Amino acid sequence: MLEACVLATILCGFFGIIFKKNLVMKIVSMDVMSTGVISYYVVIASRDGVFVPIISDTKNIAYSDPVPQAVILTAIVIGFSIQAVMLVGVMKLSRDNPTLESSEIEKSNTP
Amino acid sequence: MNTISIAWIALPFFVGFVASLIPKLDRYLALGMACASAGYALLLFIEPPLTLNLLDNFGVTLAIDQLSGYFILTNALVTAAVILYCWRSGKTAFFYAQTIILHGSVNAAFVCVDFISLYVALEVSGIAAFLLIAYPRSDRSIWVGLRYLFVSNVAMLFYLVGAVLVYKAHHSFAFAGLRGAPPEALALIFLGLLVKGGVFVSGLWLPLTHSESETPVSAMLSGIVVKAGVYPLVRCALTLEEVDPIVRFFGVGTALLGVFYAVFEKDTKRMLAFHTVSQLGFILAAPGVGGFYALTHGLVKSALFLIAGVLPSRNFKELQHQPIATSIWIALVMASFSISGFPMLSGFGAKVLTTKNLLPWQTIAMNVAAVGTAISFAKFIFLPHQKREGGENVSPGFWSAVILLIGGLIVANVAYYEAYTLENIAKPLAIVGIGWLAYFLVFRRSVLKLPRMLEQFEHLIGVMSLMLILLFWMVWTRSVI
Repeated sequence: MLEACVLATILCGFFGIIFKKNLVMKIVSMDVMSTGVISYYVVIASRDGVFVPIISDTKNIAYSDPVPQAVILTAIVIGFSIQAVMLVGVMKLSRDNPTLESSEIEKSNTP
Repeated sequence: MNTISIAWIALPFFVGFVASLIPKLDRYLALGMACASAGYALLLFIEPPLTLNLLDNFGVTLAIDQLSGYFILTNALVTAAVILYCWRSGKTAFFYAQTIILHGSVNAAFVCVDFISLYVALEVSGIAAFLLIAYPRSDRSIWVGLRYLFVSNVAMLFYLVGAVLVYKAHHSFAFAGLRGAPPEALALIFLGLLVKGGVFVSGLWLPLTHSESETPVSAMLSGIVVKAGVYPLVRCALTLEEVDPIVRFFGVGTALLGVFYAVFEKDTKRMLAFHTVSQLGFILAAPGVGGFYALTHGLVKSALFLIAGVLPSRNFKELQHQPIATSIWIALVMASFSISGFPMLSGFGAKVLTTKNLLPWQTIAMNVAAVGTAISFAKFIFLPHQKREGGENVSPGFWSAVILLIGGLIVANVAYYEAYTLENIAKPLAIVGIGWLAYFLVFRRSVLKLPRMLEQFEHLIGVMSLMLILLFWMVWTRSVI
């Protein structure tokens, strides 16, 4: 069930990238998609249990798998930095293209 | 050797940082880094293959052998040439720092054998490439860069989903884990790599990006950055024999598609970019010997992009009425000869080696692609030229860069000197002959202009889903049989 919701988020983001006209909205959709991917990692990590794997007194409880979570941290940072870079680019574009419609920008910038 | 390898992987990022702190040293540091990589790559050819397992089985795994050696050598030579080309062009320290970081991240992609390190390396190379493309800060360059970042990032998100499915099945991210993974894992991962590497229909973002960026940047992009996406495919095909047919299929498909577009193209830089798509196909069509082909192609394509940058026009029609300086023409012809597989240059050895390693069903298609290569490069070879008095007004570092690249092509010949038999020499000559004949009879006057609909942004993203279905189907039927 949770997995289905996560996959639906990924798909929503993907279709948003295709169907949204505004460049900023496209970037936001990309963020939705990457949120979906990140939560998928978290879902996979919590297959065996949901307890944080930290040394404590309680014994024999179902720990969640730390590896996917550790790994996705990198992807979060990368996704965030890519978005920052893209938004800076869009800001620069928006000075000359008040609409920010990707098809208009594309038309005026392809030879 | 272990310590050297790890130090060498970390070095470019450190050097890039230092270069932006001390702008006076930027060029020297960048060139020094490229030389260090070249030295390391040469070391790989004498040392035995090296496997490193950092942390644990879910940590970073590196496998460094001759195949990586070829790719790293390409990277080092192309970077060195690009830096020489920019030597006195007044680029800021930022540009050089990004170049070194791009160099380093691509190197990292060439040595790792687990999906997450590969993801990090590819994304860092994506960001560095974007910053290089957008370096002129013009509207067009920013749009081209944004488009590139968009397409590659969406592909990499799919890839991440595939990577976690592999982890789910095996509790490790190693390439070898693809074997027991569900079919959708392979499909998603391959989609990411195909887009990143610019292969087949999903690689149609490549022509615009490579042709609209600055000359040194497109040399860098076409020479090495796309190979960062292709190398993992080759590596997967070598590790798992059940993936091999899929990789070979995409090799043939992309070789034909790229060359088909290249033959009808009227713009020099776009033609070269489409040709990159086709040459990547040659690398994938015979994964066992892909390394040598990648070396040759990297050298020749960056040389061609640098030369195309100094031609007076980008339109072939105009170039045919406008003689170019003979010295430039000679460099252009040498590079074109190499890429069409003429003896005495390493393109010949690479082509022969690839042809020897093809499966029977691939042979005809790859020969057609080779003829197409000859046709498209006939456009360059038969340009008019004349001796020019005085300078040919090229940028100061141009000749040192081109001489380095073409010298590399001649030296790389020795890697496969067994190719020089009569039969081997006759066949490429026949192919080139057919190609030139076809050029003069048909394609010289052709006015067909192919539509660029598929290169629109939305279509590029949409094609990804179609490719995903195709890949899934391929993988699925294979696992059923």
